[in-house]
Order: sequence, then C-alpha cells, then structure tokens
Amino acid sequence: MIRIQNLYKRYHNHHGSDWVLRDINLEIPTNVSVGLVGRNGAGKSTLLRLIGGMDSPDRGEIVRDCRVSWPIGLTGGFQASMTGRQNVKFVARIHHNGDNNLGELMRRVEDFAEIGEAFDEPVKTYSSGMRARLAFGLSLAFDFDVYLSDEATAVGDQVFRKKASQAFKDRIGRASIIMVSHSEGILRELCQAGVWLHQGQAIWFDNINEAIEAYHQSAGITRPQSKNAQKSPFPAPGTSA
Amino acid sequence: MKTRTPWQVTRSVWYAMLMREALARTTADRFAWFWMLAEPIAMIVIMTAIRTLAAGGYSRISGAEFVPWIIIGLFGFYLFRENMMRSLGAVGANKGLFAYRQVKTVDPVLIRCFLEGMLKTFIFMLFIFAGLLLDIGLMPADPLGAFFDWLSLWMLGVGTGLTLSALDALVPETGRVARIISLPLLIISGVIIPLNFIPHDLQVYVLWNPIVHGIESLRLSFFPAYRSLNGIDLTYLWFWALSLITLGLILHLRFAMRLKAQ
Repeated sequence: MIRIQNLYKRYHNHHGSDWVLRDINLEIPTNVSVGLVGRNGAGKSTLLRLIGGMDSPDRGEIVRDCRVSWPIGLTGGFQASMTGRQNVKFVARIHHNGDNNLGELMRRVEDFAEIGEAFDEPVKTYSSGMRARLAFGLSLAFDFDVYLSDEATAVGDQVFRKKASQAFKDRIGRASIIMVSHSEGILRELCQAGVWLHQGQAIWFDNINEAIEAYHQSAGITRPQSKNAQKSPFPAPGTSA
Repeated sequence: MKTRTPWQVTRSVWYAMLMREALARTTADRFAWFWMLAEPIAMIVIMTAIRTLAAGGYSRISGAEFVPWIIIGLFGFYLFRENMMRSLGAVGANKGLFAYRQVKTVDPVLIRCFLEGMLKTFIFMLFIFAGLLLDIGLMPADPLGAFFDWLSLWMLGVGTGLTLSALDALVPETGRVARIISLPLLIISGVIIPLNFIPHDLQVYVLWNPIVHGIESLRLSFFPAYRSLNGIDLTYLWFWALSLITLGLILHLRFAMRLKAQ
C-alpha cells in the first residue's frame, strides 16, 4: 500500500511559486492499478515522481510499504560510455536482494529488449528506440509490487509497443501499475481505479472510466485552443477530496 | 515480497557503484593503467631534473635523500588532491543515476574517494617495493605511523571532496576555484620546496595549511633523522578532516534535492 498524507509540492521560480499539489491525501491499495488523468501541468508527472521517490514533497509524507519501481522506460539512468550489459548489471546490483539471480536477470532483459549484438556495445551508439527498448526490458525484469509508468508504452515501433502492452497486462494480478497517459485506451485497458488531478487537488475514483469522464467534463466546458492555456476558472464537479 | 533494510540497500548501491566506477576509472582509455604509474614517475623525473639543474644539488634536505623525500611528498599531496578533484565531478557525472531513489548524492562521492584511496595506496606500495629493489631508502622507519599519516591525508581529501562536491552544485564557481588553487597548494604545502627554507615568521602561516601537517608527518615516519618544521601536529589535520567530513555530510543531507536536480 502507498499512503500519501497531507502532501504539498511546489517548484520555485522567479515570479512566485504556486502549489502544484495542495494537501493531497490518498491511499493506493496494493493490487489496484491506478491511472492518473488531468490536463498538462496539473501535476500528474510530479505526483508520479514523488511516489517514486525521485523528488521530495515540501510538506507531508509518502509511506511505501511495498517495492516501488522507478518510472518504466526511464532512459536517463544509462551511462553512455558503458555497454548495455554493464548498465543493466549496475541497476541489477542496486536492486539486488539476495534472491534474484544476476545471470538469469540479464538474460531476461536481453531477451525482452531484442537489440541483439548491440547489448554489448556502448549505450551512446544506440538509437533512441534501442535505448527505450533496453530501458523497458530493464524495468520489467524486476519483480516490483508497483510499477510506475509515465507515457512509457508509447516508445519503440509498432511490434515493440504491442509487446510492451502485453507485458504490462501479464503483470496484472501479481503487480499493479500507477500510470500517467494521455491515451485513454491504454488507461481503460490496464487500470481499475483513477485519480483525477485538478487545480492542485487529487480526486480518487474507484472506476477509471469515472475519472476519465470527470476529466472530460471539466475539459469539455472550457476546451482550450492551446493546451497551455489558463486553468479552468470554473469549480469542477466533485472537488470535495 | 519483503523489503530490504536501509543498510542492505546502501550496501548494494555501494557495491554496484564501486564496480561501475572501478571499471570506468581503469578502462576509461587504453592507457589508464599506464598513466597511473607514468604520471608520478614523470613528475618525479621533472622535479629531480629541475632541482639538479637549477640548484646544482646544493640545497640538500637535512636528514633525508632528495628523491625519496619528493616521492613521498608528491604521493601524499596527490592522495589529497585526487580525492578532492575526483569528488568534484562525482555528483554531476552520476546525475542520471539519482533517478533510482536508492542512490543518494553522497554515494558517488564516497565511492570515488574509496576507489581513489585504494588505487593510490596500491601504486604507492608498488613504488615502495620498487624503491626497495633499487635501494633508494624508500622503506618507512615507522610503518604503522606512516600508515596512519597516509590515512589522515586520505580523510582530509575525503572531507574536502565531500564539502566541495556539495558546494559545487550550489555555487558553480567552486570547481573552478578549486582547480585554480590546486597548483599553488602544491607549492605552499612544501611538496617541492622544503618549508624550513622559508623565513621563520612566515612558517607560522604555512602551518595553517593542514596538508603540510600530513605530508611532513608522513616524511617524519619515513625518515627518522628528518628535520621538519616545528609545530607539526596531526591533531590539527584531524580537526580539519573531521570538520570537513561533517560539514560535507550535512550539506549533502540538507541540499539533497538541489544536488540531484543540479
């Protein structure tokens, strides 16, 4: 279970700093996959980063009593001058807990990524698609209780994307996913519950469809030309959380 | 699935990082190993040549041969300087890894310092061994004392590295300044020029520099008859080392998020 208590987060900039997330209280049970919806800048990625421990809240706390992954498909963690194999080995060692076999794990990543000989070439020689494949294979090689995903299924070519979606689906039941995606198809497919982020608040819905519906309604009233337009001035329905 | 204890996590991070850094450090280019040996040798040859040509062998070190004297000075200083300089780049070079929340900003700094200390110790041992074979008197008279002096200089380097690596992320000019002062430090630490040649009323100020205390203590442990400065005190060095380590750890803890986002 992941418990978020009285969480506040803001980023400092030169002209004042508004709260991105304001007094968030959530309890995400284990084995429930959650989709985060909301418009650009609503704090979806921020919340995901906070859950993943990549950033720290200004106030409040996040209690994790399960194994939480880093955001799936993260390519920033690779050392460019080292080979794919060396990079995978490094991450495997960080997460080593005595009962996972390093050799077995390396093979799983190699099989999933399907980058062939390039696995033993420096990462700086990879194309962005190859990087993404490696990063994706790496995340799925570990048995986490909760996977975090930020638009990750949208990397690679058609075949790989299908394989990635399938890999996600196979995990359901054994593990859950907290994902940020603008592709509603994937959200409906993989998630049961939803969280709608709106004006610094997070509203929990037991059903992902309701969350998407609420998001659509608020966006539909004032559907902006530009995605970076001002926030909706209207109080959205159901902001009681 | 059971979660790991914080200590278990830290240990696996350190192990993974050590393997990675060791590989990067020793295989960065084809000549990485060669330069580890060749750099100090070249420095010693140059220093000895300058000394012989410029001073004509006139200014002798009282109580020690010149070549072993400078070898020990250079190694002591390099131990400090490399720990400082390698730490400076540690946080920036491993920025991508902070995406894994298990990795803290101190980890790359500590691992680099550990690795650097180990490499320098190994190479110093090689030199001592070679010195034994060549019979140039490079065997410490007080091995245990020499070991402790070596450790003290290392810890001073670790403390400086920890503090500067954190400051570098907060004030970007720190790294530049550290690079600029590293050459003058070589001179005022008495690595090349014996400090008892300088006027007595200036020696008081020279002794403010903690590196002097480490290097001179190391030389005293090697050459029992060596005449060093008055007032060499390892306690002073440890005061600096422990203060800098504490300050560095505090800065890394306090500004963890700023360092990660650097």
